[in-house]
Amino acid sequence: MHELSLAMEICRIAEERVGAAACAAVVAVGVDVGDDAGVEPANLEFCLDALLREPPFAGARPIVTRRPGDVLAVSYLEVDDDRPDD
Amino acid sequence: MTVRTIDVREKVMARNNEIAAEVRQRLADAGVIALNLVSSPGSGKTLLLERTLAAVGEELGIAVVAGDVQTQNDADRLSRHTTRLVQAVVTNGACHLDARQVSEALDAIDFGVTRLLIVENVGNLVCPASWDLGETAKVVVFSVTEGEDKPLKYPKMFREARYAVLNKVDLLSHVPFDTSRALANAKSVNPQLEFFFTSALHGTGLDEWFAFLRSLVGAGLPA
Repeated sequence: MHELSLAMEICRIAEERVGAAACAAVVAVGVDVGDDAGVEPANLEFCLDALLREPPFAGARPIVTRRPGDVLAVSYLEVDDDRPDD
Repeated sequence: MTVRTIDVREKVMARNNEIAAEVRQRLADAGVIALNLVSSPGSGKTLLLERTLAAVGEELGIAVVAGDVQTQNDADRLSRHTTRLVQAVVTNGACHLDARQVSEALDAIDFGVTRLLIVENVGNLVCPASWDLGETAKVVVFSVTEGEDKPLKYPKMFREARYAVLNKVDLLSHVPFDTSRALANAKSVNPQLEFFFTSALHGTGLDEWFAFLRSLVGAGLPA
C-alpha cells in the first residue's frame, strides 16, 4: 500500500508536468529510489506499471533506478509527441 | 518516433512536505505543540491517549487527530474521555496519514483553547515514517510483546522519532523481552532517542509521561 501511494503521487507529478492531455504520449517515467528511502523498488515498479497502463496514461514504462541515500524523486519523463492517441 | 526527455527532478514527497510546512507554520503561529504518535498496531497508542486525555486533557489543552484505515473506533474511544475535540480521519485503505489530511483536520480545531495537538497515526511502523505531517516531533510507541528487535527491523521509524514509549511493561515478567537489549537496539539507530516506560493499562510510568507533556506545553520543544 505504501508503494501504491507513492506510485499515485509519481503519476500526479508526471501528469502535472506534461498536462493531462499529453499523458498518453509519455513512454517512460524515470524514478530514483534511494537504498534508505524505505521503499521496495520492485514493488514500486509493479504499482507504477499498473497505474501507467490506465488513463490518462497509455502504457508508459516505469524505469526505477536505485541510488545511495534516501532520495525518492521523479527524475525524468520520456515523451513521444508522435505517439498516436488511442 | 521522436522521443524527447523532460528533466523533472522533483521529490515524490515534495507536495506533502510543502503542506506539512504550512501545517507547521499554522501550529507555530498558534503556539501549539504537535506530537505524531506512531507505532505498530496493538502497541497501546489509543489506551495511552485515553489515559492522557482523562488525566491532563483539560489541563494541557489537548486536541487529538485520530487516523485509522477504517472505522472511527479509536476516535470514539477517545471521545469518551474528553469533551475536547477528537477529530477522526479515516484513510480508506491508505497505510498512513498525510499532511493534507492533518491540514484539513486542523480546520476543525479551536486554536484558542488548544496548546497540544496529538496525532494518532495509522498503526504501521513503515509508511508513517516517510510522511511529514508538520508535527513538532514523532513519538514511537512499541510494547514488550513485540520483541526487542523492533528498532532494528524498522530503523527509519526509530531514526525519525525523537521520543519512544515502551508500553505494556506490566507484562515484562510474562514475556521473554530484554529491555536493555531493546534500548541498545534503539540507541544504535538513534542515539538521541529519549525513552518513557509505561503500562497504560495499569498506570505505571504515566506520571513521567504527563510531566513530559507538561514540560512541552510549558516550554516548547528544544531545537
